[in-house]
Amino acid sequence: MSEEKLILEPQWWVERYGDYLFNYAIVRVNDQEKAEDLVQETFLAGLKAKDNFQGKSSERTWLISILKRKIIDTYRKQYASKETSMGTYEQDISDGDFYRDEDPFKGHWLEGKGPHSHSLMPDGELEQKELMKIIQWCISHLPPNLASAFVMKMIDEAESDEVCKELGITPSNLWVMLHRARLKMRQCIENNWLK
Amino acid sequence: MIRKMVHRMLVFMSRRMISCDEASYLVSYRSENRLGIKMWWQLNMHLLTCHLCRKYAHQIAQLNSVVDQYRESCSHETCEHHLPEETSAKMQQVISKELSAK
Repeated sequence: MSEEKLILEPQWWVERYGDYLFNYAIVRVNDQEKAEDLVQETFLAGLKAKDNFQGKSSERTWLISILKRKIIDTYRKQYASKETSMGTYEQDISDGDFYRDEDPFKGHWLEGKGPHSHSLMPDGELEQKELMKIIQWCISHLPPNLASAFVMKMIDEAESDEVCKELGITPSNLWVMLHRARLKMRQCIENNWLK
Repeated sequence: MIRKMVHRMLVFMSRRMISCDEASYLVSYRSENRLGIKMWWQLNMHLLTCHLCRKYAHQIAQLNSVVDQYRESCSHETCEHHLPEETSAKMQQVISKELSAK
């Protein structure tokens, strides 16, 4: 078995792995069009690098590894562009819109910004599908730089130092960003149930 | 003697009370990191006294597990997203063209 070298069959790629790669991409970039582009780019990059394929891993694993690289590039761009062009970084990072600014209750939850109910979602009332939709919606409405950090860490399960390296941030930056992302995600999910 | 000890304990406990912003940061921080003994103490002292942050901590734990489910939901074939027909046809074309050009 192991001696049989795996070979690539690009003519079947779209049929065999199209949906799989697309799904993989869409939960990570939260944008249909972008996900389609990424899949397309992956196939093209795969064709170009065809001769480098060593047959050690399956075709699918190999294609996923290319796609992963592409996704990380997107995060990087996403992160870089927002930081400079819109100047939202500071804004996203500051906690001003969640906590009281002035004494005597400085640092306490602003009214309506803290949690309301004990549970984030009503138990069993909503279907799993709906919940997943809300998660996707909320991630896609995070500020892009927070989304990059959150998705890399939580969806890709990347190591923290890897995330820091890719995004060019310090660990403490990362913890603050994840904290911000969770604040927003929590609020977003709760608001969606209340509606 | 006992009063003195209790007093000392109280002073120690309240030496550095943190507020909700710090507590909620620590709640998130501990999803990825181990809290040091000091931070652990500060957080738990805060949680003891603050019902909002207790809720928050509970919800963040839920959020983390729901996001885990979300990741898993799309790593199987059961995920509902499909590449649009049009797009996949286009991709197929591009690939065929590339292949025949070689």
